[in-house]
Amino acid sequence: MTRKYTEELERGYTALTVMEEAQRCLLCHDAPCTQACPAGTDPGRFIRSVRFRNFKGAAETIRENNALGAICARVCPTERYCQKGCSRCGIDKPIDIGGIQRFVTDFEAQTGMEILKAGPENGLTVAIVGSGPSALQAAATLRALGYGVEIFEAQEKAGGYLRYGIPEYRLPEAVLEHELSLIEKLGVKFQFKTKVGQDISLAELKERYAAVLLAIGASQAKMLDLFRDNDRVESAVSFLARVRQNHGQIDLPSNVLVIGGGDVAMDVSTTLKMLGVKNVTDVVYEEFCEFLASEKELRGAQELGVTIIDGYVPTECREGVVTFKHRHIDSQLTITVEKIILAVGQQVEAANLELPLVKNEVEFEGYQADTKVFVTGDIAHGDKTVVWAVKKGREAAMAIHQSLGGKA
Amino acid sequence: MINKDLSVEFLGVHFENPFCLSSSPVGNCYDMCKKAYDCGWGGVVFKTIGPKHFLIDEVSPRFDALTKEATPFVGFKNMEQIAEHSLEENLADLRRLKAEYPHKVLIASIMGTNEEDWTELARLVEEAGADMIEMNLSCPQMTSHAMGSDVGANPELCKKYCAAVKRGSKLPMLAKMTPNITDMVPVAKACLEGGADGIAAINTIKSIVNLDLQRYIGLPIINGKSSISGYSGKAVKPVALRFIQQLRSGIKDLPISGIGGIETWEDAAEFILLGATTLQVTTSIMQYGYRVVEDMKNGLMHYMEEQGVDRLQDLVGRANPNLIPAEELDRDYIVYPKIDEEKCIGCGRCYISCYDGAHQAMIWNEAKRRPDCDHEKCVGCHLCLLVCPVKAISAGEVVMKPGRQGDPASKVI
Repeated sequence: MTRKYTEELERGYTALTVMEEAQRCLLCHDAPCTQACPAGTDPGRFIRSVRFRNFKGAAETIRENNALGAICARVCPTERYCQKGCSRCGIDKPIDIGGIQRFVTDFEAQTGMEILKAGPENGLTVAIVGSGPSALQAAATLRALGYGVEIFEAQEKAGGYLRYGIPEYRLPEAVLEHELSLIEKLGVKFQFKTKVGQDISLAELKERYAAVLLAIGASQAKMLDLFRDNDRVESAVSFLARVRQNHGQIDLPSNVLVIGGGDVAMDVSTTLKMLGVKNVTDVVYEEFCEFLASEKELRGAQELGVTIIDGYVPTECREGVVTFKHRHIDSQLTITVEKIILAVGQQVEAANLELPLVKNEVEFEGYQADTKVFVTGDIAHGDKTVVWAVKKGREAAMAIHQSLGGKA
Repeated sequence: MINKDLSVEFLGVHFENPFCLSSSPVGNCYDMCKKAYDCGWGGVVFKTIGPKHFLIDEVSPRFDALTKEATPFVGFKNMEQIAEHSLEENLADLRRLKAEYPHKVLIASIMGTNEEDWTELARLVEEAGADMIEMNLSCPQMTSHAMGSDVGANPELCKKYCAAVKRGSKLPMLAKMTPNITDMVPVAKACLEGGADGIAAINTIKSIVNLDLQRYIGLPIINGKSSISGYSGKAVKPVALRFIQQLRSGIKDLPISGIGGIETWEDAAEFILLGATTLQVTTSIMQYGYRVVEDMKNGLMHYMEEQGVDRLQDLVGRANPNLIPAEELDRDYIVYPKIDEEKCIGCGRCYISCYDGAHQAMIWNEAKRRPDCDHEKCVGCHLCLLVCPVKAISAGEVVMKPGRQGDPASKVI
């Protein structure tokens, strides 16, 4: 076990090897990959640019609709989106679109390109609550349209789940910082350690700004009653944030149980292995045939030796002894561990914001809550992935622009 | 493992197989040629030996390569001239090679600046034990205009120098042609009149392969400058084949040693079918080593087996009658493409190419992501077959053009 938590797990392409991958691309007419990207990142176009050795043009294409291109390149579950429709599947396997995108955005950073631009100031300023991916995209789009943007963030730093949730081996700190710096250079202002509904009221924001965009993420961990008040239990959200803030320097026992089967559970399990935990056992409600985690994440966890047991529900927990029952067959499982990490979903904390939330989503379609208040990110309808956050961020910004009299 | 007789007789010399190193950096000294013989090459054309008074002074670096996507060495540029070792060393190497490998063919490539040089070099290499002489009339990067491709473009000079070589040696003699000329036939005829027994073709093509875009200099860069020089490798094969065909149709039964981008047995077979009896290779050796001959020989044996041929010589020139002037081709019919919907993976490349590069005959079904050919518009050019990445398109129905007579079923398509 020599892999380091702070080092990117996947090896990137070089200028030579990226050509090999781009050469595999069939350069389809009406490319299915392009149709499938929720954010409109247009892989068909940027891979073609790579194929014709126009790396700068490729970076421009990526940034046109995606202010978080370097982040999406790393964290997007591409097999569910662009790679799903890839025509190359008819021959062997899809093009590694994320990998090519990563090469292009790395090239963009190395050559100091600054593609995102602010538009001529229009005199109106929008407040954004939260600084996760959707907020960041909305900020970039609003700046391009000439709006002033001020972001109110409860934490000390920007990024939301990108900073406090995704492990560094998937999203290196430097990549996040670079993306943030590009957005900051557009003139977006940040107010940290400011919680709306506590340090400043929504009413005040509505008073002071032309519009308010609530980009509240599902940042609160869900808890199962069985595990309440057990000091061996920690939520995935808390664990991942703690590891990330300490760059992997935390103490851990040699046996850890993870409960959950989504990408977050995979991140937790993989992180534990990388930090040297000998036995990591992940027990999952879903069976493998209905698994939630992305292929890449599941493969990563398995490659590091995480034991994954599918189809079991926890029925009892006494300190470090957890009993599970299989959902369909007569089978019982008891595991004794020193630490339990729960990755069973997250919820939105939005008290004092007067939002009609049902199951962590707003009840209404679209992005507009009232005349001045808009929503985006996890609380808006749609997938909860980063690429969807980007899509929603841009669309919410356009909705604000339209409501303030601008043309879509 | 298959074992067929690859031997050929060429200008009265027996080659155990037709594969030879061409006169180039790959046959520059005893050790290299020894290794090549040991790897199974049938013959060696030792790197061109020049006169004592002409000093070779090479540049550094001296090569460049054309790439396409991730493919290296699509074409190769070389600025090296003739052998840089002394005349004595070269002759000693020839002697040693012939003594140790009496059954392998040793060809001495020579180049002079005047008739006396040519005569003397011919005499010396015969004395050293060469089986054959190849006159280098074609190196495009010599530092003297009295040498190389400037000579090879001048039929009178070629004839004079061929005669000079014949005065110095009775060995069979090849004249190596430059492709930097519109029509090779008059030069080849002049060489034969001067006494050459056969033709080697082609030498490299004058080229500029790449430029340094920041400094505006051709590659490779030699103290801020570069020069035009010879281009070789896979990219030149089509040009070489064309010259060989023209030589064979201009001069009946001309003995040819074929050169130009040979790296597989298929390339080799093409040169043979167009009339080359022996073959010479450099660029693929520079990229991959002498071992490339193993698959060329084995592949060629399997090809002979498939063709039901026991003597390689029987294949020489078989394709020559099937290359005819454009005005004599049958223009009476169209072959429509046939699309295999099962094989098709829906990339739409045929649609794009047909629209932008042909006759807008491919109809694209957006929902199904499948092409369909409109026979009203299709001219049967088959661009779609060439761009399809999965070979889902093949030659289909043959129809006569309106008003033309003939049986479509009889057409060899």
